[in-house]
Amino acid sequence: MLDTPAPYVLLGLILYFLTYRFYARWIDKKIWETDPNRPTPARMYFDGVEYFPVSKYVLFGYQFKSVAALGPIVGPLTGVLFFGWVPALLWVIFGNMFIGWAQDYSAMMMSVRSEGRSMGPITYKLLGDRARKILLVYLIFYLIIITAVFEWVIIDVLNRVPGTFTAVLFVLFGGVVFGYLIFQRRMDVLVATAVALLIVLVGYFTVALVPAVRQPGTNFLDSPDFFKTYNFDPKLTWPGTATVLFWLVILSILYYISAITPMPRFLLPTVYVGYLPSIIALVLVLLAAIFSPLTGLTIKQPSFTSLYVDPLKNPQGGPLWPILFVTIACGAISGWHSLVSSGLTSKQLEYETDALPVGGGAMITEGGVALSSIAAIMVLSQPPAGAAAYVQGATLLTSNLLKVPDVYMNILYGIFVTVMGLITSMLFVRVFRLIMADLFEESPLGNRYISPIVILILAGFLAFVGSWTNLWIFFGGTNQLLAGLALLLIAIFLGSIKKPSAYVFIPGIFMAITTLAALAWETYVYALYAINNKPIGVQAAAAKLYGQGLIQVSNLLSAAFGALLLVLGVVMTYYLITGWAKYRANK
Amino acid sequence: MGLLDRLREVVEGLTVHGQSTAILKVKAQIDNLFMIITLGDMLGIPILPPYYSMRLLPYVFPNIQNWKRYMLRERDFTDLVT
Repeated sequence: MLDTPAPYVLLGLILYFLTYRFYARWIDKKIWETDPNRPTPARMYFDGVEYFPVSKYVLFGYQFKSVAALGPIVGPLTGVLFFGWVPALLWVIFGNMFIGWAQDYSAMMMSVRSEGRSMGPITYKLLGDRARKILLVYLIFYLIIITAVFEWVIIDVLNRVPGTFTAVLFVLFGGVVFGYLIFQRRMDVLVATAVALLIVLVGYFTVALVPAVRQPGTNFLDSPDFFKTYNFDPKLTWPGTATVLFWLVILSILYYISAITPMPRFLLPTVYVGYLPSIIALVLVLLAAIFSPLTGLTIKQPSFTSLYVDPLKNPQGGPLWPILFVTIACGAISGWHSLVSSGLTSKQLEYETDALPVGGGAMITEGGVALSSIAAIMVLSQPPAGAAAYVQGATLLTSNLLKVPDVYMNILYGIFVTVMGLITSMLFVRVFRLIMADLFEESPLGNRYISPIVILILAGFLAFVGSWTNLWIFFGGTNQLLAGLALLLIAIFLGSIKKPSAYVFIPGIFMAITTLAALAWETYVYALYAINNKPIGVQAAAAKLYGQGLIQVSNLLSAAFGALLLVLGVVMTYYLITGWAKYRANK
Repeated sequence: MGLLDRLREVVEGLTVHGQSTAILKVKAQIDNLFMIITLGDMLGIPILPPYYSMRLLPYVFPNIQNWKRYMLRERDFTDLVT
């Protein structure tokens, strides 16, 4: 029993339940003193557009959908591969128990008590215009890095799980048809959903049943001799190859369309239709993890690997502290959530008391998704690096439980990872366009047709010749620093209303120091390899194809991004800590 | 509220809630544009109140307060995320 993932997943779920039942409720009652009779922004500023009261169950679903994308899947699996499953499991459990839910819930409450304002205006109110501008620049770089990371995740799955692309094309087509039926033909939502689901199912079963359509194959544009000559595994995805370039172009076209077309035409219906099979996949893998003792699958991964890795010997990874804490973001804590919590959800809470089940509850549920991801990777003996490992692990877990051929689950999880990645990165590119339009207005950089190209070129370049694991740590660093900054901002807010703030200030300081250290480490690794004129790990393939010059540009660009984000992070942390001290002194 | 109703609402949140809010925003933007053209002077936009704005006033009156709040509310890049 103890050699299966089930007891550890169950332990995590029980601890989450206890956290929600006791610690979270205590914070809710004693610190925020939520009152169902105090009017929320939804009731005070009812406009029927953004501000209107919505049931807590609907908001819980919306909040969960907005926060749980690829993060709680890819982060934990990468963490397990770096350091073993015990450190990853402990961070997912305790990170969420003491930091994760607290950030999501408190950011929501801060917004509710600030007339539904989002992070930017609250930062402006508490710390001034300069702090808000720093946050804005920070967010722009964050979007570039996160887009690059998700591009690579999707490419890895499309390349290594042949057939996924065909099935995803059906999902996208289903989305377009759904949009047409709803907005042009004014069809009933249920009927249109049934039509879209039918299209998705046709795609899914066609790919699962007909091997001939499982195209294009792994590394289909590259010569097998290339892999043989340099001893690269032809089953993996390598930066710089023609196949990677092909997938990058396909993805860029999709992102571009989603960024420039009206939301109801492409993005919204695609997100809706894409999420339907994803819900099934998510529930299945969690159930399979819990019932793993019935399947006979045992833990194959090492419980612990090492505390420190020499960057020149193995650049992908690093010291357990701080790297583990940024490798696993969603599921433990993620800065993105603070933006979502203080965005739409806080404007639609009917009662203050709903903030705990919606904000805290959604985050704790996401912790369950991260636990299932750890379980999926635990049962693999030799997991391939990258997101395809999740597809392999989840397939193994669920096909053993349901007693169905692997190919069905393989395609389902291929679709799941790709669609989840697509949904979020399409939104990132669109948000980038909107921010650029706000910043640069009439200049070419603010142009709706030009600004998406900027992010697609920059992110595409980083994904094309970059080392994915290093990029992932970079993304984790920026994302987690955003979380640290949000926690400190909440501490200032609590200080300003004369409430105890230790429960967010201490985690905020921990996250700020940890993430700044991680950003410094990753900048150091990039700079070290640039100075030594060497490719980082898998970049060797791109170096053979294009020469070291291109790798140098990529690594120097990454080091420059890292240094800039580090400086911005330090300045922002300074502002927040001095701001907190100021508000505390005014007690 | 029964378990099935709760589940139905969670699924609604997971799937259509984001869509319906986004569509409401698009509709509101078009409505707001119309209001600015006809009643922009209420927000200090120097347009001469046309004859038609007086004719429309009784119809748009219930929405004026919300429209003013929506238009004059601070806008920020972090609002664009959701």
